[in-house]
Amino acid sequence: MCQHQFYVAKPALKSSVTVCARMRRDLRGALLLLLTAAVQSSSMSAPGKPVLLSCRSPEKETFTCWWEPGSDGGLPTTHHLYYERERLEGTYECPDYLSAGRNSCFFDKNHTSIWVDYYLTVMASNALGNATSDPFKMDVMEIVKPDAPGNVTLRVEEREASPCLHVRWMPPSNTDTKSGWVTIKYELRVKKDNSNNWKEYTSGTQTHFSLYSVSPGGVYTVQVRCLLDHGSWSEWSNTTFVKISNYLQNERPLSMLISILSAILFIMAGLILIAKRKSVKQWVLPPVPGPKIRGINSQLLQSGGSDDVGNVLIIKQSFPPIYFVWEDQMEDYLIVTENEDWLSSNSQKRKKSLIPACFHFDSEIHSKESPCHQNDWEKDEEISQVDNNNKPFTNTGYVDFQRNVENVDVKHVDYSRVKEVKSDNIIFLEKEKVQSSGYIHFQRQEGIPEDYSRVKEVESDHLVVLQKQNAADLSCKDEGNHYTDCALHKPRKPHVCTELSDSGYVDTIPAPPLM
Amino acid sequence: MPGTIRSVSLVWVVLLVCLSSRRTSVGAAPICTNGQVGCHVLSLDNLFDRVIQHSARMHGISSDLHSEFEQYFLPSKNQIGRVGRICHTSTIITPNGKENAQRMAREQLTEVILKLLIAWRDPLWHFHQSMAHHHDFNNFSSNKALEMNDMVHELRQGVEKVAEKMQVLGIISNSVTSLASPEVLLPSDSADWRLMKDYDLLYCFRRDSNKVQNYLKILKCRIVPNHGC
Repeated sequence: MCQHQFYVAKPALKSSVTVCARMRRDLRGALLLLLTAAVQSSSMSAPGKPVLLSCRSPEKETFTCWWEPGSDGGLPTTHHLYYERERLEGTYECPDYLSAGRNSCFFDKNHTSIWVDYYLTVMASNALGNATSDPFKMDVMEIVKPDAPGNVTLRVEEREASPCLHVRWMPPSNTDTKSGWVTIKYELRVKKDNSNNWKEYTSGTQTHFSLYSVSPGGVYTVQVRCLLDHGSWSEWSNTTFVKISNYLQNERPLSMLISILSAILFIMAGLILIAKRKSVKQWVLPPVPGPKIRGINSQLLQSGGSDDVGNVLIIKQSFPPIYFVWEDQMEDYLIVTENEDWLSSNSQKRKKSLIPACFHFDSEIHSKESPCHQNDWEKDEEISQVDNNNKPFTNTGYVDFQRNVENVDVKHVDYSRVKEVKSDNIIFLEKEKVQSSGYIHFQRQEGIPEDYSRVKEVESDHLVVLQKQNAADLSCKDEGNHYTDCALHKPRKPHVCTELSDSGYVDTIPAPPLM
Repeated sequence: MPGTIRSVSLVWVVLLVCLSSRRTSVGAAPICTNGQVGCHVLSLDNLFDRVIQHSARMHGISSDLHSEFEQYFLPSKNQIGRVGRICHTSTIITPNGKENAQRMAREQLTEVILKLLIAWRDPLWHFHQSMAHHHDFNNFSSNKALEMNDMVHELRQGVEKVAEKMQVLGIISNSVTSLASPEVLLPSDSADWRLMKDYDLLYCFRRDSNKVQNYLKILKCRIVPNHGC
């Protein structure tokens, strides 16, 4: 009776095989079948490839390397570390697998050389095969990372003004800092209570440090770490706590009271200042007095009351000869035109360009000294050009305000430019804008010496008839905007009237606007 | 009157002659002798500190340049080329550990330092030239290369001064041959470095500058131990 029952512990194949002892071959075959089934059921295989993780030297005299094994294939797997070294023939095995723990290799002083390259490989092997990791190249100079400093102690020194914290520690025990082989540097960090803001300080090579920015009533946490030469920083040491008592509590209320009182005082002072800001402003920044023209009220002019303006501008004074010197009268030049529409319409526009010292109502530019800048004049030209009434100025002239005014009785003073002289007793005055100074310079072509002529008659408003010994009156009357019955038969623009004054100078008076 | 003038001028002439003769007789000897008042003599301790600082800075620059090169060229960290990197200073026997360095005699250690510094004089100069011509590198790297080159020069002079002082003070014997004829120390097959690539040159120099710094520190702590050790 050969009844053997074999149970295969695979969930899918729960079958019992009954084999008869007689069939040995069948048994062998069955055993083989069993084995393969067993292998398939537990998936045993060659080991997976291990990976070398890192190496580290804590004091630049020894070093340790760690690896990560791959899958073990279900079988007991052993790992071996082999290395080759620069300037050393042959392949060697790790001298110490135990001192540094599992999956590690420790190289002691005899097996460590600095400034040479090591090539490490780890081989995992089990019953079914081997697996070798990728080679790992390293130089001890590059893998230096010390242990954390130890024995960190804190001591609070309570002084009158503020407390201070003294920290002391020891270098890591395995590091030799006395022989000059390595230079150690320390760093510490401090945090208060439970915040996450660490404040870091470097300590150089000293094993103590003092903190002065500590305040009472808090719990301080301190940690220290170190560095060797040009390597990596160690881990932070264990944390150490210290609580600083707040013995200064009773002094606080007084300082708080003082600060509150001064704050109240400041606020009150500020409120008072704000309430009286106008007077403060006047006191701090006194208004600058502007230049004043006698007889001229700038606000009146700006408001644009034309009758008043006209009256204001009329001055009673006598005039020196026509080409009087401008230099003496530097102030208060004024050009006046009787084109009142223009005046009123432009005065509003001109508000900002009205300068008390220089009221200009038209664009006549005097090329000699003028208190106004040329730009202002030109600006006004443009403004008046833009102002598209297209009215040429009826009556343009200069008004000069002299300080030493004699009692003269001149109604108004206007100057007009002579446009043309017809024969020797007819003067046509220009009505359009003139580009240059407009004093009347009388020049006759016949060679008659320059002198003054008496005006006989003024026809229309730009025609002046001068007296001649044998003068034949040529009068041109204008109708509308052009001449008729005029010997010249030239179209003219509206004219300026002139009136004879007692002294015989050519003066013009503003004629009523003809437009 | 003329007699006094003559005597005064004679005195002046004598003084001048004396001064000039003193100056000429000084020659190459140091102006400050030990114990002279008002003369600032650098102690050996001070000299050592200076050269150590100098070497630390030199090593820092070489590390920076090396990491910059690594960024550009990205050599594989685990390259299999084991025989690939042989530094041209491999022929110089250097102690490879703390005990070996401490066991070495002072004169020998000083000589090793000087040999290393001399061996790097030409390669660094050519390295700087090749960097200046390559427009891949920015001015910063090229400046660093020049600085490195200058520092090797200055450091070598500094170490020679230290060795001189040690000899004067009797700390070491006069057997340091490098001071006599530096060119003797150059390795016979010194043209090896021309075959090296720039990256390998930097790698080797970073290592050698670390060696120089370490050896100097060991020397200092052995000869003038103080708080700095």
